[in-house]
Amino acid sequence: MLTVALQQGINGLVFGSLYVLVALGLTLIYGVLVQINFAHADVVTIGAFAAYFFTFAFGGNYLVSIAVALVIGGALGWLINAAIFAPLRERGSELLPLIATIGVSILLQNAMLIWFGPIPYPFDSPYSNEVIRLWGGTFITWQNLIIIVVSTLTIALLYAFMKFTFMGKALRAVAQDRETAALMGINPSQLIMLTFVIASALAGMGGAMLGPILVLTPFAGTTVIVKAFAIVIIGGFGNVEGTIIAGLLVGLIESYTTQLVNPGLIDIVVFSLLLLMLAFRPTGLIAEKREENV
Amino acid sequence: MTNHRAVLFLGVAVIAGLGAVDAASAQDKVIKIGGLFPMSGPGAYFGAQDKQGIELALEQINKAGVNGYKFEIHYEDSGCSPLPATQAAKRLIEQYKPHVIIGEECSDATLAAMPLMEQAKVPFLNAGSSSIKVTDPGNPWTFRIMPNEVMQGVDIATNAYKRLNARTAVLLYENTNAGIGNAKVFNDTFTAAGGKILADIGFGRDVNDFTAIATRIGGVGKVDVIPTYTLEGQGLRITQALAQAGVTKGGGGQAIQLGTIWLPFGFEQKAGKAALGYVRIVQFDPLDKREVVSNFVQSFKAKFNQDPTHINAHAFDQILVIADTVQRGATDAQSIRDRMAETKNFSGVTGSVEFDKHNQNTKMDTIHYMETQPDLSWKPLGWN
Repeated sequence: MLTVALQQGINGLVFGSLYVLVALGLTLIYGVLVQINFAHADVVTIGAFAAYFFTFAFGGNYLVSIAVALVIGGALGWLINAAIFAPLRERGSELLPLIATIGVSILLQNAMLIWFGPIPYPFDSPYSNEVIRLWGGTFITWQNLIIIVVSTLTIALLYAFMKFTFMGKALRAVAQDRETAALMGINPSQLIMLTFVIASALAGMGGAMLGPILVLTPFAGTTVIVKAFAIVIIGGFGNVEGTIIAGLLVGLIESYTTQLVNPGLIDIVVFSLLLLMLAFRPTGLIAEKREENV
Repeated sequence: MTNHRAVLFLGVAVIAGLGAVDAASAQDKVIKIGGLFPMSGPGAYFGAQDKQGIELALEQINKAGVNGYKFEIHYEDSGCSPLPATQAAKRLIEQYKPHVIIGEECSDATLAAMPLMEQAKVPFLNAGSSSIKVTDPGNPWTFRIMPNEVMQGVDIATNAYKRLNARTAVLLYENTNAGIGNAKVFNDTFTAAGGKILADIGFGRDVNDFTAIATRIGGVGKVDVIPTYTLEGQGLRITQALAQAGVTKGGGGQAIQLGTIWLPFGFEQKAGKAALGYVRIVQFDPLDKREVVSNFVQSFKAKFNQDPTHINAHAFDQILVIADTVQRGATDAQSIRDRMAETKNFSGVTGSVEFDKHNQNTKMDTIHYMETQPDLSWKPLGWN
């Protein structure tokens, strides 16, 4: 029983790490713009497809494909913000960019449906089925080990960037008070663009690592994004530390719900937690003032 | 001879077309078919493959027409889900006004759309939904040419117990009408025979990671068989996760996964060595020696440059069944329904068709058991 408990802990941390990567992008955008980005799921899917085609159509290395997906995700974030969201924000409406994210999501999904077709892609990385046997009968695949290592490094780098670099501090300043930050010589538009690029790059990278785990279709990202939204709320809107903890927590909840109850009840458990958080601790797991987030 | 009606069908149609009807009137007389298939979402692979089978059948039949009728189809995306299915069915009925509708694949979607067909008095021919509720109680306007969940479930559970000597099982299924229904039939039949269900695990279609489920199964003791009821995408990940956890033969374990008609051909190639020893039902055997099958396989390969799947095949058969009713004098929705109910000894590429009083096909020759070999090819088990 201890073996099973440990194994479920490993399983939960793997998926929790991926949830964190995806949810961090959402929380960054919310923290800076107070905007929910519904198209985030589709950037995850595009990242997964980018890694798939880089690996199988061009014969590239899977590990390199993660970097490729990161770059493509970032570029896509830049493009979407520059072409659609930024012009709409300039009109002064908060609602228009929100509606636009839904439009972009539908557009990207249907474009992928045309380009890639509806049939699931058999995306197995060279590491998907290679198993490392650990202590006491537990195991982890190389793919899952890569997910944990890459996610941990990425989250650590992002955290360091936000806390210790000038750009990171500037980004937090924009999140706290955009107008005051502008008076201090910070260009909020550039920082917002940077936020979109970082968030989308994380989504693309997350997609590349999710691809060999989830069912790769043009709608793949949507299965993850609902949980990511829940994680953002549980962690506290726009709160990076809270999002990391909430992501890992949701991953573990999923594993242990599967083991102890039934996987069919996962959503009930996760979203019950979400409702409880909203009812009793609406600021999220780590309570901070809104302006100190990000 | 009656068993070869479908084989002779095209030839008869040519004679009928040339002899009885002039070309001008043939162009005017059209049987409008509504196609209610998932084109998006996790079941979209069904729709893509259904369209191929339909396209081939229409191409062949429309060369000469049937009794002076040509056939045309209009598709709507029913999404393998109740709400989009009802919306798509309404669009078909109100805007396209078909004489007959074919589809859906997912039971939940089919069940949701059925009342609309009954209300509009348009016959609804289904080939891919297994829930018993589709035909029991069903309604007078809905027909099904595939074996239902009870026919499949009783058969596969009995074979698991008697032929595989399985005594323990874990049920894995998606939480849909079809998933729950199939699992329940297996459960009832297997336990009545003396088998034991060690775990009963249902999950939503949004579950991505099956490692946790495989871990749980690995901890329940000695499992002989794992009947699995999912769509292709989740099915792939389940099979791989079970192998990684060392539960199934593909991962060095001893459990055998059992599958039904849900999965398309090519599943094994996608799942890789994890699929070793997988025993599953397919609705169409490409090695079947009947002429109708070899002709279908040959023409499908020529048109699409790929091997046909059972989804291609049952979509092809749906068109042939409709054409058969027109061959027997059907001209509108009511007469198509009436002739369809009278169908006897129809022999299509998936097998025979003959409907009972609930409009369920009674023939079991559409069930073929296959076992996945180390080279990922199939070994026919010849159980039916």
